[in-house]
Amino acid sequence: MITGKKMGAGLLSAALVIGVIGCGSSEDKETNTASKGTDTTSSSETSSSKTEKVKITYSMWGSAEEGSVTQAVADKFNASQDRIEVEVVSIPWETYMTKLNTQATGGQLPDTGMLKEDGVIQWSSEGMLNDVSAMYEGSDSKPLDSLAYKYQGKTVAYAAANEILLLYYNKDMFDKAGVAYPPSVLDQAWTWDEFVAAAKKLTVDKNGKHPDEEGFDANGIVQYGASVENLPWQLETWTLSNGGGFYSTDGTDVRIGEDASIEAIQKVADLYLKDHVAPLSVGQTDDGIQRTIIAGTVAMATNGAWNVGTSLNTAKEEGLNYGVAVLPYMKEKVTLNTGGANVVFSQTKHPKEAMEWLKWYNSEENNWGLISSGIWMPTLQKWYTDEALTRKWVENPNFPPYEEYKSAVVDYAQSSAARPASWFFTNYTTDFNTLLGSVLGDVWTGKTTAKDAITKNLDALKAAHTGNK
Amino acid sequence: METIHKPLKRRSRYNSSEARVAYICLIPAFLGLFFLTYAPLLGVLGISLTNWTGLKSPQFIGFDNYVQLFTTDPYIKDSIIATIYFAFLSVIGSMVYSFFIAMLLNRKIPARGLLRAIFYVPFVLPAAAIYVGWSWLYEANFGFFNFLLSQVGLNKVLFIADSSYVVPSLSLISVWLSGNLIVIFLAGLQNVPGVYHEAAEMDGAGAWKRFIHITLPSMSPIIFYNLLMSLIANLQVVTPALALTNGGPGNSSRFLTYLMYDQAFVNYKLGYACATTFVIFAILAAFTAVLFKTSSRWIYNEGGDDK
Repeated sequence: MITGKKMGAGLLSAALVIGVIGCGSSEDKETNTASKGTDTTSSSETSSSKTEKVKITYSMWGSAEEGSVTQAVADKFNASQDRIEVEVVSIPWETYMTKLNTQATGGQLPDTGMLKEDGVIQWSSEGMLNDVSAMYEGSDSKPLDSLAYKYQGKTVAYAAANEILLLYYNKDMFDKAGVAYPPSVLDQAWTWDEFVAAAKKLTVDKNGKHPDEEGFDANGIVQYGASVENLPWQLETWTLSNGGGFYSTDGTDVRIGEDASIEAIQKVADLYLKDHVAPLSVGQTDDGIQRTIIAGTVAMATNGAWNVGTSLNTAKEEGLNYGVAVLPYMKEKVTLNTGGANVVFSQTKHPKEAMEWLKWYNSEENNWGLISSGIWMPTLQKWYTDEALTRKWVENPNFPPYEEYKSAVVDYAQSSAARPASWFFTNYTTDFNTLLGSVLGDVWTGKTTAKDAITKNLDALKAAHTGNK
Repeated sequence: METIHKPLKRRSRYNSSEARVAYICLIPAFLGLFFLTYAPLLGVLGISLTNWTGLKSPQFIGFDNYVQLFTTDPYIKDSIIATIYFAFLSVIGSMVYSFFIAMLLNRKIPARGLLRAIFYVPFVLPAAAIYVGWSWLYEANFGFFNFLLSQVGLNKVLFIADSSYVVPSLSLISVWLSGNLIVIFLAGLQNVPGVYHEAAEMDGAGAWKRFIHITLPSMSPIIFYNLLMSLIANLQVVTPALALTNGGPGNSSRFLTYLMYDQAFVNYKLGYACATTFVIFAILAAFTAVLFKTSSRWIYNEGGDDK
């Protein structure tokens, strides 16, 4: 029994030791990270007192390599003046917003950083962002008006990049079918009916027949004429174009239940269901261009300008002969602007310095890699209005021919057709878009109509728009 | 009396010290369970009673999240149905499929080792590759299955693009992936005593009778284990929704775990997501409890009366 007790005590103490070590190490880790956090602030304070430089951190999504590229840019800024020292923190895209949320809870946010489009108004409404209206005061060139995120009338962020929605097309397919290319000039934009008519000529079944011909086999289509991206946020374009919309212009009311909005969505669905010119897509995955233009199965497809640099440039090198055009329209000519935001967090002690850095960093020279590859479009107006700058931007092998891109993208982006996507001024767009995507699931396959689906769920959609509160 | 009493006492002492050692040895495991499982579970329960979004400090709102979940939430009902439907198809499908394959692989057939490897391989393939591959097979417009259908003159099937076919389609992948069950069944089958079969064969029992009266009862503990594991895994399904369908079309593949992920890490409604987590936990617990309750009726235990 004595031995038993001793053994027991020994084991118990061993267990305790293990337990203590376990706890100790986890505590150590916590204090480590915590002290890391305080280190940056304390060292920034000490360094500012020593060298009189204010240290600010800028967070971005991307890999460690992308982070070091941006740090190299920041180092240029750091060397260019003696008041501000910028440190870049890169966080992988998948965990970026989660990490920022955690940091916000702990009061450990960076001074400034990127923020996902649909998070800006939410963060702003929770008081997490600074007003940046004053950022471009007295500057020679401002960002395009459609690129300002606005909450309660105040500018709370500018987009880090510009993107608009376009119509891409496969020139070889058009040449083969003897159909005129879609117009790259806004004044000549196709109406929806012209667009559908062209798409019919470009849709071919295995016997070479088109949708309005006798004996056409909708089950044996080998080439589709058109694909209109039906991710929920992009559908807003068509509701606006048809005189409806997702929301009222100030973002307060939901307009998706209006006939014009419903009709627009049904027209997009009918491209597959009735016109037989589009492949089926249920609007859930963000790979539209890969599935259509790059796969070589569809003649025309709508999607964002970023595709020029993320996928079409490679396809072009491999022989894809594609062009860009303005979107067709129903009643009004509309395309959407978007772009992830650069924000100044309200937890920062140095908002002025943070804005100065952002303003410097957002000048196009510093993001030249992304811009010249075609992934980002510049945000500052002068790149759209000064031809020398436009040529510098567009005349490179990553882009479609200059005249075409200049007209269908550069001019289009600063035209009256370009409107900010709703997350520039509305909260809870993720809730709304997720629900809309789910509501429309059976509309694309024709099991129900847009009218039925939306009317039945209108209350839920309205609730989603207010964050279900 | 003394003489009898003494050894008894010693025996009980021995027993109690043995118990003590056992308890002490269990401490590390208990600590792990407590801090890694039960404490977080309590934490989730606590957070589920708040409106925490991760940005502001949480406010206690009682059972509002649960009330909202069961009154106004547009997804939860479809989500529960989709999850149970998927788990039902996948569990039944993979149990029957893997038992059948294990029986085949247990016979003396040529290239048995190679075949065993072939049926196990899907289980160890990286999930991303698997789902990209299946998405090509299932694609509604130009997918391989639709190509085959068109070759034999049949109409297209939309598979994962159609809300009626998406869950069966995803279940099929899950069944195909059940190589781990095959391995466990195979190990069990190899432990079914050959003498029983020989004896039954002498008594004139045919293959079917021997399967029903010998193989199945002998395998019942293994079947129970696989059933339980498969049920829990399939009720927690999330990968196909994340990799292939994003919950669609409609809500037809918005499985509970996917719904929870969406609430927590897309919409950052952490309190609300924790409430959903507890609903998932309750559903899992209910199914597991039913399985355990009914198990004593059909599990054949060869030795020992401890349960």
